[in-house]
Amino acid sequence: MTIDFLDIRFDMIWNYKELFIRGIWVTLGLTVIGYLGGIILGLFLGMGKLSKRKWIYYPCKYYVDFFRGTPLLVQILLIHLAVIPSIFGHSLGYFVSGATALLLNCGAYNAEIIRAGIQSIEKGQTEAARSLGMPSGVAMKNIILPQAFRRMVPPLGNELIALLKDSSLVTVIAANDLLYAGKVVAGAYSRFWEPYITVAILYLMLTFVFTKVIAYVEKRFSNSYVPSQRRRIFTFGRS
Amino acid sequence: MIKIEGLHKSFGQLEVLKGIDYEVKEKEIICVIGPSGSGKSTFLRCINLLEDITDGAVFINGLKVNDSGTNINEIRKDVGMVFQQFNLFPHMNVLNNITISPRKIRKMNPKEAEQLAVELLEKVGLADKAKSFPEQLSGGQMQRVAIARALAMQPKIMLFDEPTSALDPEMVKEVLDVMKQLAFEGMTMVVVTHEMGFAKEMGDRVLFMDEGKLVEEGTPDAIFNNSTNERTKAFLSMVL
Ligand SMILES: Nc1ncnc2c1ncn2[C@@H]1O[C@H](COP(=O)(O)OP(=O)(O)O)[C@@H](O)[C@H]1O
Ligand SMILES: [Mg+2]
Repeated sequence: MTIDFLDIRFDMIWNYKELFIRGIWVTLGLTVIGYLGGIILGLFLGMGKLSKRKWIYYPCKYYVDFFRGTPLLVQILLIHLAVIPSIFGHSLGYFVSGATALLLNCGAYNAEIIRAGIQSIEKGQTEAARSLGMPSGVAMKNIILPQAFRRMVPPLGNELIALLKDSSLVTVIAANDLLYAGKVVAGAYSRFWEPYITVAILYLMLTFVFTKVIAYVEKRFSNSYVPSQRRRIFTFGRS
Repeated sequence: MIKIEGLHKSFGQLEVLKGIDYEVKEKEIICVIGPSGSGKSTFLRCINLLEDITDGAVFINGLKVNDSGTNINEIRKDVGMVFQQFNLFPHMNVLNNITISPRKIRKMNPKEAEQLAVELLEKVGLADKAKSFPEQLSGGQMQRVAIARALAMQPKIMLFDEPTSALDPEMVKEVLDVMKQLAFEGMTMVVVTHEMGFAKEMGDRVLFMDEGKLVEEGTPDAIFNNSTNERTKAFLSMVL
């Protein structure tokens, strides 16, 4: 067996460039839809897990436990081959199945991040808000969530990167994602170095871009709430 | 104005308030003193239902606070509270800290709310800090903003839970001065405090609490100078 570095043929990648470009779009689409949906879902699940009402708490808890406790690959297959056909009588295509599975899965992980973020805000904040006559929903929206959000930014960023990579699992339902493009080329030429290296590099480029975006957001939401650059952190004495 | 009847509060097995009866009249300044852990904060927090009440009742202007038919948010509009740890909203500047509840809860329009905030900031001597953020303020300034924030709801009663205990000594006076001014203006106040000077000077009544009970109640003179109660005397001998 030889690994023939000198005989690398990227021309065959070039021949399939449309497939790879489409793969990038599909991967991006799945990731963005799954992630944004997962944030909204995670917000409800996370707050549900903080509810004192048992009929809210337990469904949210079991949902999160299920989606965190089973492999995403299994969830994708279940949704694509069982859940969606049972509900609609037929498949809705790989994209709907894939996006749904990623969204439902991401929602469970985000729920834990959001719950922990909300819980990390000092109790005194809620008490001050409530003592001013704010109903709990108003206090949550105006006082707790804006503060909790900052603490959620780094872990939610990690979640985005993780989801981008995990989205490659939809390849099993023949979704035309980035990994699938590599598989097609590999099958067509019976060569593995070029297509999978290409796929890896393209994923790396995507994670790089996402990392930059996350770093920017994190910087915007860094420690201090004071908008100006030159700020006094703590000043004593009378005004 | 505030009527407390047979107030009991337990945290699980721990009984923290063991039956308290008291009535606060309009414009009275009530100072609550007592050793740490005696239940002073819990007593105060039961008044605006930050702690739910195990047994007994609290009435504010005749409305029972711990009644499922009572909208507690309505009552809280009339009861301001100032905390030991200030609890300012760190993500908002001073102005927004003050205007948020009038805007969201009293449905005041932003212009009016801002004007009110400016007036209140002048009152607490921080007119120049409207655009500052809490992290840019000293402890004394933060507490004065917290008082202004509570006043912005135009409450009829103010509750203070050791408002100067977290402050460096040199900042205590600026906060007490604001409280005194408020007292002179006729605010009804319940003040948990370790500032015996304030209690003596400003209190209409002084309440001494120990181990979840209201041990003794009277004018500052009766409590500080003429108490015959052993526990009161023991406590005062330690703090005075
Ligand atoms: N949320 C709580 N859970 C359990 N115990 C509490 C809680 N809050 C207060 N306690 C207990 O109740 C007692 C009285 O506390 P507190 O009212 O804060 O006293 P004080 O303000 O007089 O120092 C203390 O023993 C304290 O540990
Ligand atoms: Mg206390």
